[in-house]
Amino acid sequence: MDTILLLLHTGPDGGLTRAARETVAAGQQILRDMPGASLVAGVVGGQVQPAIEQLASSGASRLLAVEGPAFGPARHATDAAAAAALIRSAQATLVLAAGTSRWSRALPAAAHRCQGCIDTHATGWAMVDGSLAITRWYYRQRMEAQLRRTPRPWLILFDPGIFPPWDGAPGPAQAQRVEVDADPNLQRTRVEGVQAPAAQAQTIRPDADLLLVAGAGWTKKQADGRAHVQEAEALLLDFLAKSRASLGSSKSLVDLSGEGEAVLSFLTHLNQVGQTGSTPRHPKGLATCCHGEEPHAVGWRFIHERRAINLDPGCGWARGKADVLYVADAFAVLAAVNARLAQAAPPAPGTPG
Amino acid sequence: MADTPIQAEMDVERQKLEADIVCIGFGPATAGFLIELSRHIGGEEGAPPLASRCQPGMPLQVLCYERAEDLGFGVSGVVTRARSIRESLPGLSPADIPLGAAVTSERMVYLLDPVGASRRSRTVRIGDRILRLAGGALGMRDDAWELPWIPGFLHKTGGWVLSMGQFMQWAGMRLMGSGLVQLWPGMPVSRAVLDGQRVVGVQLLDQGTDRQGRPSDGFLPGMEVRAELTVVGDGPVGSVGRQLDERFGRPSRSEAPSDWAVGMKMVVDLPENSPLAPGAVYHTFGYPEPEIFGFMYVHPDRVASLGIFVPSWLNSPVRTAYRCLQHWIQHPYLARRLEGARLRSWGAKTLQESGRRAEPFLVGDGFARIGEGSGSTNVLTGSGVDEAWATGAQLAAGVAELWRAGLPMSRDRLEAAYEQRRRSSWVEREARVAERSRDGFRRGIVRGMLGMALAGWTGGRLWWPGGSRSKPRPIESLESFYRGRLTPEEIDAERRRSQSQGLALHEVLMERAGWPPIPHDGRLLVSHQDALLLGGKVQAPPGYTDHVVYMDPGLCETCGSRLCIEVCSGQALRPGERGVPAFDREKCVHCGACLWSCTRTLPGRPERSNLDFRVGAGGLHSAEN
Amino acid sequence: MTSTGYNIVVCGGLAPDPLQSLEPAMGPSGPALKNEMMLPVVLDPWASHALYEAAHLAGRIPGSKVWLVSLGHRGKLQQMMMTVAQKVPFELVAIEGAAGGFTDPAETAAALAEAIRSIPGLDPARLLVWGGWESATRGAGVTMALVGERLGIQDQFQGVDEFKVQPDGSFRILERVEGGQHQVSICTGPPVLAGWATGSLPEPRNNPQIGMQNMRSVMPALQKARTAKVGAEGVRFDRITLPQQQRATRVVKDLSPDQIADEIIGWIRQP
Repeated sequence: MDTILLLLHTGPDGGLTRAARETVAAGQQILRDMPGASLVAGVVGGQVQPAIEQLASSGASRLLAVEGPAFGPARHATDAAAAAALIRSAQATLVLAAGTSRWSRALPAAAHRCQGCIDTHATGWAMVDGSLAITRWYYRQRMEAQLRRTPRPWLILFDPGIFPPWDGAPGPAQAQRVEVDADPNLQRTRVEGVQAPAAQAQTIRPDADLLLVAGAGWTKKQADGRAHVQEAEALLLDFLAKSRASLGSSKSLVDLSGEGEAVLSFLTHLNQVGQTGSTPRHPKGLATCCHGEEPHAVGWRFIHERRAINLDPGCGWARGKADVLYVADAFAVLAAVNARLAQAAPPAPGTPG
Repeated sequence: MADTPIQAEMDVERQKLEADIVCIGFGPATAGFLIELSRHIGGEEGAPPLASRCQPGMPLQVLCYERAEDLGFGVSGVVTRARSIRESLPGLSPADIPLGAAVTSERMVYLLDPVGASRRSRTVRIGDRILRLAGGALGMRDDAWELPWIPGFLHKTGGWVLSMGQFMQWAGMRLMGSGLVQLWPGMPVSRAVLDGQRVVGVQLLDQGTDRQGRPSDGFLPGMEVRAELTVVGDGPVGSVGRQLDERFGRPSRSEAPSDWAVGMKMVVDLPENSPLAPGAVYHTFGYPEPEIFGFMYVHPDRVASLGIFVPSWLNSPVRTAYRCLQHWIQHPYLARRLEGARLRSWGAKTLQESGRRAEPFLVGDGFARIGEGSGSTNVLTGSGVDEAWATGAQLAAGVAELWRAGLPMSRDRLEAAYEQRRRSSWVEREARVAERSRDGFRRGIVRGMLGMALAGWTGGRLWWPGGSRSKPRPIESLESFYRGRLTPEEIDAERRRSQSQGLALHEVLMERAGWPPIPHDGRLLVSHQDALLLGGKVQAPPGYTDHVVYMDPGLCETCGSRLCIEVCSGQALRPGERGVPAFDREKCVHCGACLWSCTRTLPGRPERSNLDFRVGAGGLHSAEN
Repeated sequence: MTSTGYNIVVCGGLAPDPLQSLEPAMGPSGPALKNEMMLPVVLDPWASHALYEAAHLAGRIPGSKVWLVSLGHRGKLQQMMMTVAQKVPFELVAIEGAAGGFTDPAETAAALAEAIRSIPGLDPARLLVWGGWESATRGAGVTMALVGERLGIQDQFQGVDEFKVQPDGSFRILERVEGGQHQVSICTGPPVLAGWATGSLPEPRNNPQIGMQNMRSVMPALQKARTAKVGAEGVRFDRITLPQQQRATRVVKDLSPDQIADEIIGWIRQP
């Protein structure tokens, strides 16, 4: 019989993060389709009691924890040791975890120490012939595979956003402590904290509801025969500030900036979306001045609702890649959108009313 | 004049590298040269190995610099008799090379115009009518007539169908694996370095520059690679070849190349039930314009190469290969065979169709020229790869001889060792037959075909005269070309609209002249942009200078045709400010069609067009072409 | 006198040139890419950043040396070397084996770790093992972690954008974490494993002299490449599919910018 271990790390407050609650939901869903299996939760953190109490109604038959100051920070050596100890203690056959930066860093080592195997970036699951299968992408979201594994324990890290976060009622609960020796060798690394990106990169917001993608058209000459790069910068930044959207860019626009051209100065390769860039996840995406040809559209694979503004009605977006294509001048449209957002914006905090 | 520094004149310190032989460009000619030479370097021929003169104690030091970012990018699918390749590589079978197949059948097909928009002369129209009337009796089907017989000089019986991209990769791997020569892709050569009349090596392209060629972030001046012999194999539009032509002039019997074509092709995946058999070869003519030839070669594993040649003598002011290609593949004869096929790769290249008539000096002190840029292409038999490889192999045999004898790479020695070999070979013999075979095309398609037949059957003793070749035939104006279909006012309105929107004219003019819109299907009929990205995988690394430069933008402002924009294979040239075309390096496939399509010449230099096509980085990234 | 430099071993595999069209194909030994041997290849992009950063660090710290450990089909490795060897100085350690995305990272890691252990004279006290945090083929972010684990390296960092050597010899490392932020860590010194994101260095220019220098070791390394059996033991692929998403696009041609703005605002505000 399978034992499913939910491997969870706490947030800064000792409670469950959204990612951890998604993992709980994953475990509950899979458990329903695996008759006879049991659910165990294992928590790692500096202080875990708030998380343990949140798990009271999770359905886990056992609650395990590795706790202590050494296990507060996200550090490979201590996290790998803690995870391996929890897997062994739970005698887990399946280990579910969220694909957070912390678990992604530490769990491969834990899998190795437990003679197990590991898959990351899982995006779905199914029962096939009575055994668990997962789906994940290969070759940068270019093809999707469904696969199964025979070795156990099998560690599976699910990408964020796959499961709705579990939101069960907290209650009194106690975890069984699993002791891990955090000897000095495991603490050669000291985590100092997190650092916000430089000011100009503030426009990348992975958690934003909307992704705005700027294409090379913003820097090309417009109807009056001239380029309006400064105006384009102002319009885009104004939109980003007002809408709190995340900013992506086509490859050609990022490359232009690498050549010292007078182009959108705030764009870097981090913004690049597409076959040679990233494939972000946002509920909505708005493409401006970029053609929706196939390599560009790869970056849109996980954008749920897609709209585009382009002067060319024959561009790739028109052929089944966007939900709506507005054939229009993006300069004029974005200016009008910004004007509407400005009217509707609530006064900034501290502004005299 | 364009404010673009000429790299040679930029006052920067350049590192120097020493080699014995440096090669420019890795196409079939250089591959033939290196494959043959490596046998001598390693001592395979029974003679002692060739030793380096610049690094005593080491074997011959041979470097080859290729402009494209990998070997085999940006070349073409071919059918070839492969005589020279087989001679260099005895025992080689086409099955040894990915996508290679032996020719199993050949067809020559005349395509009629099923849409009625083609610009056909009266003679052609009469011929079409007769064919349609006699259709059944002649076996006409799908608006096409398969000729019952193909002239012997066009046959490729016993030949091979190859993907040049894959063949070049195969040859490159073999060479690199030998450890005897070094191949460096992604490294354009900007110019030959001269010491008086002697070529003493090459200068590589500056890196880390802005688009005007000025030093920018990470500036790395192009190194000088000094070598006793520089092998120029940079193709039909190679900038080093043109530099040498300017420096040394031409042999008295040679003329500046004036016949060109842009070959645009695609590689497609055929459906499971495709009736096309590996090794099948199709040649077409007659559609979408009578002057446009087409081809389809079938590779193993349900893959085919197909495309068209748009020649310089197609007198259209909206000469566009891509749009023509899209109409061509929709012709019922092809559409039936391509049903269910899907675009896999795409590309374009220039063919120098003057052949031997535009042969430059083949050798000089310190240099030798091989391949298409040396006038080796045979325009009668439609063969270039076999000849290019042969010239490379001939040079290698000659160089090995000279090297072993301790002789210098001087003009007279190279003449004796290489040029004489070439003159006494089949390459020269067949080139002489072909020399005037295509002249008739200057007077129309019918006379052109008759001229080819005459030359082919009489061994070059007869041909159809083509009139003066001293200057290119002027391109018809839009107003004249579209007379009867569009008024001058309508053309002017479209011209102004295209200028303001930064678009080429051909799409709208062709549609107004009766060509149907392209029903894009995302499979075979894709947008030009998708062809670039999805098919050609076109990209350009940052940090290089623009390689298309208008020497005197003032001339562009008064240019009525702007044929460079229309012919551009990658939509890299667009109407720009004041009528001067704007160049987008990201989209350039380096086909060079703009070079020979430029209709303006520099004042006092009638041989020099206003568009300078220099060596550049990037381009196609598909090795299946 | 002992050297103070680092032994920087960079693991970097092959990936298809990014703009190639890819299709899966089921072969006798499991899934692979259709026409895999025909596709142009590049050094895996994130591993490339690791290599450039390694060369940069080695250039600043005298006595340092860079190895590039690469697993793949020998011909493809040779092809890749034509480009990579022009970039920065390194010594190649080649392993002949399967390098596609459908192989298991654990098996790849075992082959890489074994090759690293076999590098003569490698000093664990000066060892930095670098690579890409994920590959462009498998995209798992597991291989480097397992290489480190097999080599007994406890201090591992993934998604690294900055790696600074401080005056006391410790390292200050920035890793990409959630929210577009970086986690800042201080590690006392080698051995350290870093899986790089992009770092901050531009792609080095092609340098013919570096190319010639590298080639002296590249060709012998390719010739003596050891063969490693790399597959996906215990993995069963049920299916591999290409996404086929076709949407019914509404093309709006005749609205004014204001009308479009109204539509877009309405759409943005929909929950």
